[in-house]
Amino acid sequence: MGAIITLSILALVVLYLGLFKMKSMLLPVSILGFLVAIGFLWNDWTSTSGPLFSGMVHFDHYAIAFSVLCIAVTLCIFVISKGYFDEEGQIAEYYSLLIFSLTGAVLVNSYHNFSMLFLGIEIMSVALYILVGIRKRDKASNEAALKYFLMGAFSTGFLLFGIALLYGATGSFDLSEIKNYVVNNPQAISPLFYGGILFLIVGLTFKVGAVPFHFWTPDVYDGAPILITSYMSTVVKVASFAGLLRLFSYSLLPLQDFWTPVFLVIAILTLFVGNISALMQSSFKRMLAYSSVSHAGYMLFAIVAVGATSANSIFAYGLAYSLATIVAFTGLILVKKTTGSEHFEAFNGLGKRNPLLAFAITIAMLSLAGIPLTAGFIGKFMMFSSVMENYHIVLLVLAVINAGIAVYYYLKVVVAMYFRDSDESCVNVQWNYSLVLFLAVMLTILIGVYPDCLLKLI
Amino acid sequence: MTVFYFVAFLSIFFALLTIFTKNPVHSVLYLVITFFTFTIHYILLNAQFLAVVNFIVYMGAIMVLFLFVLMLLNLNKDTEPMKSNLVKFIGVIAGCCLLVTFFGVYRVFDISNPLTVVNPEIGLVKNLGKVLFNEFLLPFELSSLLLLTAMIGAILLAKKEPKQI
Repeated sequence: MGAIITLSILALVVLYLGLFKMKSMLLPVSILGFLVAIGFLWNDWTSTSGPLFSGMVHFDHYAIAFSVLCIAVTLCIFVISKGYFDEEGQIAEYYSLLIFSLTGAVLVNSYHNFSMLFLGIEIMSVALYILVGIRKRDKASNEAALKYFLMGAFSTGFLLFGIALLYGATGSFDLSEIKNYVVNNPQAISPLFYGGILFLIVGLTFKVGAVPFHFWTPDVYDGAPILITSYMSTVVKVASFAGLLRLFSYSLLPLQDFWTPVFLVIAILTLFVGNISALMQSSFKRMLAYSSVSHAGYMLFAIVAVGATSANSIFAYGLAYSLATIVAFTGLILVKKTTGSEHFEAFNGLGKRNPLLAFAITIAMLSLAGIPLTAGFIGKFMMFSSVMENYHIVLLVLAVINAGIAVYYYLKVVVAMYFRDSDESCVNVQWNYSLVLFLAVMLTILIGVYPDCLLKLI
Repeated sequence: MTVFYFVAFLSIFFALLTIFTKNPVHSVLYLVITFFTFTIHYILLNAQFLAVVNFIVYMGAIMVLFLFVLMLLNLNKDTEPMKSNLVKFIGVIAGCCLLVTFFGVYRVFDISNPLTVVNPEIGLVKNLGKVLFNEFLLPFELSSLLLLTAMIGAILLAKKEPKQI
């Protein structure tokens, strides 16, 4: 709870700092605020309490782990953002909108009542609708914002209707009450309830960008500023998955037979559409957008084969994916600064000019592809083994085929960096970028080599 | 009871007028009156809050928005969308689907017992306030974040950019 209050106040403080034109204070204050919020969460880890505020939020280990992950990733993005928004006017507003969005993500991680889920998702998304369209003179940014806003508003309608139907069937917004309803009436569950579940699936899979509802993802990720894209594809995706898993593994678990086939179909479609479209791209940013769609497919495995380990495996996967994505987008920001292009050709010869940067991007790509000794392998391994336990052999085979396809397009960048030449000048890497790159790469390798610290976390 | 029948007659009358008037602006105005009669229904049902929300949000904000959009679009004979046979055909199919659904619902559900409200004062603003400030205090407070975010965003996007030299 301390974290939510800290983040809300932090956003307001940042706004006021902007008002009084203290631009140099913005970054240190925000980072201090994030550290305080992480401290509060850390403090809650040992003293496990029940749901707070008459069952509105529940900071159990699950919520705390995901919230710390979201805050830490945002912290990294803030460190990179130094100097990124310089040419634009209102930096304070950007920062405070990002912090508001983060508050929404923390709410989605820790909700115990549908009203909080709805508020969390809305706070998270409304801030993003604005941030996506922040470059007012850029046509692509405008298009992305409009598309995201219209589709997002529509999906929110589905989500809200689903919540209303569940309320109609059970008479409560509380997750425990809904669980009791499902457990106590195994025979006489109202048809409204099933309809509600389907609407909730539509609303939430839209937010994670799974396939029948992924049409916004490539355009929005492509049109938004790179920093916002990296925020969207890490924090928002992980938080939405945490919310999705919390609902289905806690409240709706007894109805597994009803919703597992739905998620199975969504997961398979997501894998194929994401990977095959990523194969065709010539822009690195767009490739990462499609790859994030395909990663949503892998993360859905935890929900298809829901069990005791799925919270842990989705956390491990989310962590590995976020680290690698941050490295990839940081690399893209740096390369784009020198060459002005987002295509694979921009990476030509980077291995000779900036060997360390090229090495970091290589590790990130290997981690995204799931090569052993990187964090991505551990994430994929946990997902696959949970699917194995539930005997979804067909799904497993399809997933392995897709992992093979993914290796091809991730290695395209590596090939461009090491085996192609170009006469571009050297990329200038400031200290804040090197710090984030170093931390993320170290963590990726550390988790890949020594995963035990993560496996029994939640 | 006579008040109810009178208001119900007015609702249906103005709803029909909404459909049958040729002029879109008149149609919207009749819709506003229809919503007003709904507000009276809510008051008759002892649902104060719904009445107020219906009055302010639907009648006030949304219908005025409708009116503005209509005036901005400047609808007239020339800009009228094509009424091709295909559109009519689709309309007939959609109408038949609606009818089938109604019959299905009518067959499945029994006519419920006359509604017995457990707590007749449940729709009063006072009770809503009590729930809002006890059980739902946290969402109520946090919705301020949502509104603030939307406000900052609107200002940020609509603000005139300083001239670049």
